[in-house]
Amino acid sequence: MTANTRSRNRALVRYILLPMIFLTVALLGGLRIDVETKAFLFYPPPLITLIFSVMVMLLFVRGRAVEIRAWLGSDLPALTNVSHALTLVTLYFATAQAFNTVLPERGLLKALFCFFFAWTLWNNYFSKFDVRSLLLSMAVLFGTAFFLKHMFLASLFAPGGGWAKKIAGFFLEVGTLGTIDSQTFAPATGYISFFTLLLYVAGLVLLTPRPEPEEDARALVRSYRDLPPLEQMAVREAIAGPQPSAALEAREPQKRLDTVEVTGELVTDMPSEETLVTRKPDA
Amino acid sequence: MQHKLIQSVGIAWTILFSAFIIWIYATEPRNIKEVTAGAQAAAGAYEIDQARFSAALDLFYREEFRAARDEWNAADPGRRDARTQFYIAYSYYREGWHYLYQDDALSQQGLEAVNRAIELSPDKTLVVEDPGLQMHTAVELKAELERGMERSVGDFNPFKVFRTRK
Repeated sequence: MTANTRSRNRALVRYILLPMIFLTVALLGGLRIDVETKAFLFYPPPLITLIFSVMVMLLFVRGRAVEIRAWLGSDLPALTNVSHALTLVTLYFATAQAFNTVLPERGLLKALFCFFFAWTLWNNYFSKFDVRSLLLSMAVLFGTAFFLKHMFLASLFAPGGGWAKKIAGFFLEVGTLGTIDSQTFAPATGYISFFTLLLYVAGLVLLTPRPEPEEDARALVRSYRDLPPLEQMAVREAIAGPQPSAALEAREPQKRLDTVEVTGELVTDMPSEETLVTRKPDA
Repeated sequence: MQHKLIQSVGIAWTILFSAFIIWIYATEPRNIKEVTAGAQAAAGAYEIDQARFSAALDLFYREEFRAARDEWNAADPGRRDARTQFYIAYSYYREGWHYLYQDDALSQQGLEAVNRAIELSPDKTLVVEDPGLQMHTAVELKAELERGMERSVGDFNPFKVFRTRK
């Protein structure tokens, strides 16, 4: 692939594919299907999801998933800045709608979900993140919320179902003094939500920290500087490679030998092959 | 040059798609038919099915209100025609009218339909010249539906049995 083709493909992803993915998420994130009439119901993003979205955007910037100075800058052409700004705006609304799709619509459950989202995001803000861990964390967060809302709660409050489910639902409602007021939707809502989250995560994977990738050496230096000191040392050792053998030998500890003085005297009567060793008389 | 073209297409596409999403959330269509009808109305190409409208009118005068509403809904799937929505509201009024009381659930649905009719009509005023009706304006019908849903001491007035359906 030539550099020109690569550059064109990157531009297509950045300026057309990414906004399309994020806007589709923004469209489908608030869509529910009524369980009785099968009519579309559109839920605009609640205020709390817009706040969560701001927190996530800050996390992206902090975790260097989005390097804001590389996306928007006075040295970039106006058209490029506008285009990048639009992509980031679509990311913001897609994030808000991704929260909207996994958030219960009302009642105590909504408050609980909001609390745990806020808790997780707030904790993440004080953690050390690299891009990969951050994206993984986001995927797990949305995946868990999806499971709880569209699989666990949806099956618990579904209109049909066996006695065990009805009894569990009844006790949950009584145990929470009726504050759990889950709205039931058609099963298609779960599928739409799943597809929406899948698209959102795919969009995040396609989103590069910088619009144009850095040269390899500069990217390496930047990544190195982001590492904790211990890992920096490991990288330095790995880059330096194995030490030369001469240097290793020089570092071997010297063996200390005790010197023993050996003296002898010639005895003429004895065969010449034997030598008597006597202790040196003390002076 | 190629990059600039891609950027320009991307910006135009993003703005168009965003406008579509805002429109969808503002109009809240209930199904794909309403989305299509809404798009046609936005392009000025939306028309109701006149044959079905006339058939519904016949049913309405024969007091087959539910059947009439089904026909009107089929004639105006996008709920974009003020006159059709007015008739739908009127059918709710007539079906819900009783000598001693007015059915609240039907009145509520009638109120929703007449509000749609008012929203769709230019200058928010709609006049339907039909000799078979006693209320010819949307605001008149709306007031009548609202009155039927109100609770007051007058509800216990035995002379209510002498009132007539409009």
